[in-house]
Amino acid sequence: MSIKVKGFLKDVGGASRVTELRRESIANASSVPDPKDPIREVADLLHPESMKLRVAEIRDTSKYAKTFRFESVDGHIPVFQSGQYANFRLEIGGSTLTRPYSISSAPYEARGEKPFFEITIRRNRPYFVPDWFFANVKVGDVLEGALPFGTWYWEPLRDSKEIVALAGGVGITPFHSLAKEIAYGKLKGKGLKLTVLYGSVKQDDIVLKDELDAIERDCPDVRIVHVLSDEPDWPGEKGFVTREIIEKYSTPDCTYMFCGPFPMYTLVKKTLGEMGVPDRRFRHDAINNPADVTLLPGYPKGRETETHKITVCRGIAKDVIDASAKEPVAVALERAGIKIDTHCRNGECGFCRSQLISGDVFVSPIGDGRRLMDREMGWFHPCSAWPLSDLTIRIPIL
Amino acid sequence: MSKYFKDHYDVIIIGGALAGMSCALQLQAKGVKDILILEKHNLPGGLATDYVRNGFEIEATLHEMMSIGTKENRLKVGQFFDDMGVDIDWLPVPECYRVALPNSGIDKILHDGYERMAREIDEVVPGTFEKVHELMLLCRRVYDSMNILSVTPMSKVQMLMKHPDFVKTVGYSATEVINTFGLPKKAVEMLTPYWIYVGNRMDDLPFTIYAFLMADYFTGSYVCRGFSHEMSMKMERKVEENGAQFEFKQEVEKILVKDGKVYGVRTKRGDEIHADYVVSGAYPNKVYTQMIEPLSEVPEGAIKMINGRKLAVVPVSVMMVIEGTPEENGFTNYSTFSGETMDTNEIWRNNENLTEPYNYITTICLNYANPGCVPEGFTQLSITNLVPSAPFESVTEEEYHDLKRRLASEMIEECLKITKVDFRKRICEIEISTPMTIAHYVGAWKGNIYGFSHSLSDHAVARLGMKEEDHFIDGLEFAGAFGMSGDGMGPQITNGRAAAKAILEDKEKKEAAK
Repeated sequence: MSIKVKGFLKDVGGASRVTELRRESIANASSVPDPKDPIREVADLLHPESMKLRVAEIRDTSKYAKTFRFESVDGHIPVFQSGQYANFRLEIGGSTLTRPYSISSAPYEARGEKPFFEITIRRNRPYFVPDWFFANVKVGDVLEGALPFGTWYWEPLRDSKEIVALAGGVGITPFHSLAKEIAYGKLKGKGLKLTVLYGSVKQDDIVLKDELDAIERDCPDVRIVHVLSDEPDWPGEKGFVTREIIEKYSTPDCTYMFCGPFPMYTLVKKTLGEMGVPDRRFRHDAINNPADVTLLPGYPKGRETETHKITVCRGIAKDVIDASAKEPVAVALERAGIKIDTHCRNGECGFCRSQLISGDVFVSPIGDGRRLMDREMGWFHPCSAWPLSDLTIRIPIL
Repeated sequence: MSKYFKDHYDVIIIGGALAGMSCALQLQAKGVKDILILEKHNLPGGLATDYVRNGFEIEATLHEMMSIGTKENRLKVGQFFDDMGVDIDWLPVPECYRVALPNSGIDKILHDGYERMAREIDEVVPGTFEKVHELMLLCRRVYDSMNILSVTPMSKVQMLMKHPDFVKTVGYSATEVINTFGLPKKAVEMLTPYWIYVGNRMDDLPFTIYAFLMADYFTGSYVCRGFSHEMSMKMERKVEENGAQFEFKQEVEKILVKDGKVYGVRTKRGDEIHADYVVSGAYPNKVYTQMIEPLSEVPEGAIKMINGRKLAVVPVSVMMVIEGTPEENGFTNYSTFSGETMDTNEIWRNNENLTEPYNYITTICLNYANPGCVPEGFTQLSITNLVPSAPFESVTEEEYHDLKRRLASEMIEECLKITKVDFRKRICEIEISTPMTIAHYVGAWKGNIYGFSHSLSDHAVARLGMKEEDHFIDGLEFAGAFGMSGDGMGPQITNGRAAAKAILEDKEKKEAAK
């Protein structure tokens, strides 16, 4: 016996009925195309693929640092959160170099009448891209880039309202953004308390000092503690950001946010571990790879002097380039004028994800953001992988 | 002409998601090897993917992969992977679902096996075993018939003779057919939670689809050891081993058509590449209103076809890694449907606005199917609701972050009602995805993951019967959630194969005409 729903004749007519119904609703539909997708439009506003960024202002923000203010040529700057970065696509010497810079201005400054964002670059010794910025970028120039990127920001659903920030050198920039947002922006009056333990060498090397002083004056929720390593007469904290100093300014269950150079990261991570801080309370920005690869834990020392050949496959095309073992694969590609879309440059974000067809690479264990199956099936992040042999790789066609 | 592509391919597939890749595999199995796949993102699989945050790998979408079956007794999708040599490490999901309705006093885990689940419902609502079991067997017969009829055409009389239950229930909603069983409300509430995976109210959802879903889920389901990215990666590798060219970061902007016949695509990068066939993973809505070049090649019927159909649902999902074991965080099982009600009309009404907290959620604790998904002492959790896209269409960029955090925190609060443990202080990682997230990463039209809504006015059986009417441009096929088999990851495999079959048939026809 098969089922009876409403009577044999009505039951067996179901297929014709639903077909008629469908045919009818299509026949009665409008023939005017509706190409509008408001959800994609908002998604594109939040994550523009590429922006034209005009330099609106350049100012000195320490003896060695300059702050560059950008407006968007189309007037729109996406909503971002303090801690996120802008990624620039720079045309330098026939190569396209992609470089991330933390946004140093506050999110609220990118809303309203005259939206802008700023990055702050410190150049205390020669570096290729900072040198280029300092020497070449002028007010009125238009650079290509996009924002926001990165998942390092204060997350209210996860992080404590008591924030102890640990900053070294130019690592202050995201905290300047956060402090300013707490003082004047959307995070004002939300109960956040931010204490910044900011390590610099000397007083004149403190980046954004005047700005930080002003925020501290205006906002009781923000406190800046300068820790100077080479200024014997400094009345405040001296030396490095040690366990003693961190404990002095910590509150129970606070969230530690770190942004600073590689050696400081190593120290801070060790110190917080010793203090028994759970990993979830230690949020750190992408750690820049040290210029000397042998400093990375696990690097097979002695191999850094080698040179290798990389066969680069893009679509049906193949190119062979030279690579120094000292430099990540992405740098070898950039030197050869081959485009590779890096973002974090620390192995974390996976934007430059590519296939390693043959050969060996050293992958930095710090910030290794590869997926399990990518590791098992030979995919890697060229921005944070150093050649240990000749390689054959496949990268996206850009 | 670009140095990276050939001038011409037999088939270009737009989108390297599950449907696109299964289309390629099916074509390759039948000897079509000259295939180019162009993927917008830098990952294969579309939504079948995951991401890494601070060393934790987090599943982006997959709850349960259906129609896999055991190694010895494969079902349709599992068999296809085996046949294609795609070797995936499937991990069984330990139960079908827990339905927890504090208001109705229901809190019960249902396991796979039609008899077993009927007994489990009987334990809560005594005296219902026979009827629930009978309903499940009916669902199974409809499921079996669907699988046969989707590949083997037959006459109406033959259909009525061989597949009477299928034929007699086609015209009705899930509610209408379930009502004939005269089950108490409480039992019905335990039988409806899966509705979320087809995204329409039980009053408008065809029984056929409900039956297919129930019969399928209650045979058991699977996830991948290496997250859904494993499935995507292994399909991609196989497609390439079979000789296809697969390129990432290649967004197709235009589908080139002349005199009603497709002849290639143009990418955002500017490459114009020609092909005899184009398979679109982009929604017909996008293809017919933006992508066909020139748009004058789009027949009026195609516009009516998209305007006359309703899009299905969009996901809102909160994904977390939490310090502590699942037990410490109050989780005891894999998949839980919970909320204030299981009345899908009431849930739908609630979901049509963004002001009320969602009254219904799906919680997945991945540890219970894949213990290796996090290091020991951590919990991987997702909370999801599938809702109509309309309320999101008026959300602005400025309010977006606040809105998504509010939705997430409300969904977490709803979840705390079942865990009875406040895990919020132990959250290690949290990501919230919305229709905007979907639109951003895979470009799906209005952030839709489920194509067109299964309803009585857009019935799968009617879609099958109107296959020819729905075909507008020679050489252009579609493979995605908007396909005949509809939504979900399992059906994507079927949708992709259907697109391949259409191409193979067309090729044969054209060769015969020569």
